Amino acid sequence: MNEILDELVPPFGRPGDWDDVLRRAARRRVRPIVLAAVVALAAVAVAPTLAGLLRHDGVGLPAEADRSNVAVVLAPLNRKVILEAAPWKGHDGFCYEVMHLRAGCVPRKTFGAVITKPPLFGWTFDDRVRSGVATMFGGRRVPLTVKHFGGRMDVTLFLVRGRLPIPHLLKSVVLRDANGKVVLRLRRP
Amino acid sequence: MIDELEALYRSRVQEFRRVAAAIAGDRELGCEAVQEAFAKALRRRRSHRGTGTLEAWVWRIVVNAARDARRRRPVVMESRAASSNGHAPTLPLELLTERQREIVFLHYYADLDYASIADALEISPGTVGATLTAARKTLRRAHEEVEA
Repeated sequence: MNEILDELVPPFGRPGDWDDVLRRAARRRVRPIVLAAVVALAAVAVAPTLAGLLRHDGVGLPAEADRSNVAVVLAPLNRKVILEAAPWKGHDGFCYEVMHLRAGCVPRKTFGAVITKPPLFGWTFDDRVRSGVATMFGGRRVPLTVKHFGGRMDVTLFLVRGRLPIPHLLKSVVLRDANGKVVLRLRRP
Repeated sequence: MIDELEALYRSRVQEFRRVAAAIAGDRELGCEAVQEAFAKALRRRRSHRGTGTLEAWVWRIVVNAARDARRRRPVVMESRAASSNGHAPTLPLELLTERQREIVFLHYYADLDYASIADALEISPGTVGATLTAARKTLRRAHEEVEA
């Protein structure tokens, strides 16, 4: 059991940051009701600008990503970077950052996964996967952009093409090989 | 008290992170939970009245922060299909209750004894022992079924 638990959460390589703890402790706490009122007002008044700002100032690739070896996926129309991936330093796996909204590192032990909060995207370590379709509750089918990154990452990433459906309505994702045969079926638990 | 918290952080941050990451189900969220938990401990250090050890009090805050992080994290859909590319089977932690998982993580990742785990989770040491035994039995049975 010890070995499997070691594999489940490998030891952290980077040292702690006590100065960050001190900064967080010194941060002035805003009363939740005041914060909610400010956020609501801002959302109504400046929603489009706020959305733009969030997209530009959002999360980046995790510190544990090997930044010397970053692969990207570009949006077909405006050529903006919508997804970045890089090998996970010191581990067998990869790190990602998608649309400046979500980031993390994934060990090579899962068969495949889909993040169902916006933006909807996922990964698989099965290198046979060439295409995929997401099926929503209600039957709507949404094609996926599938990209394989070789080398140390050796992972296949997929994300929704075009307009994003409501991720909470996602029922399943089916991934297929070059011959159209189903390789992996991911369902909401 | 600040010095004691700093010493505890510097000596045990990796164990705190592993337990928090295991509970939160995500490494980044686990790290974040530990930073927030220590910041909270610093802000509320006067509320630690000296009943129980400082470490147990901090573990309690870290476990709560990690539980909150787990509730906030995105839903991840994972395939339970048979492996087609040779990956080893993982530990079926979903068979355990939330309390069993937390006790397993605190015992194996932080190497805490029953009394310390009991302090951290505000339960009795007897409950820790019984829960850990039940968790081990469940995991062993699941492992035997996979092997069979």
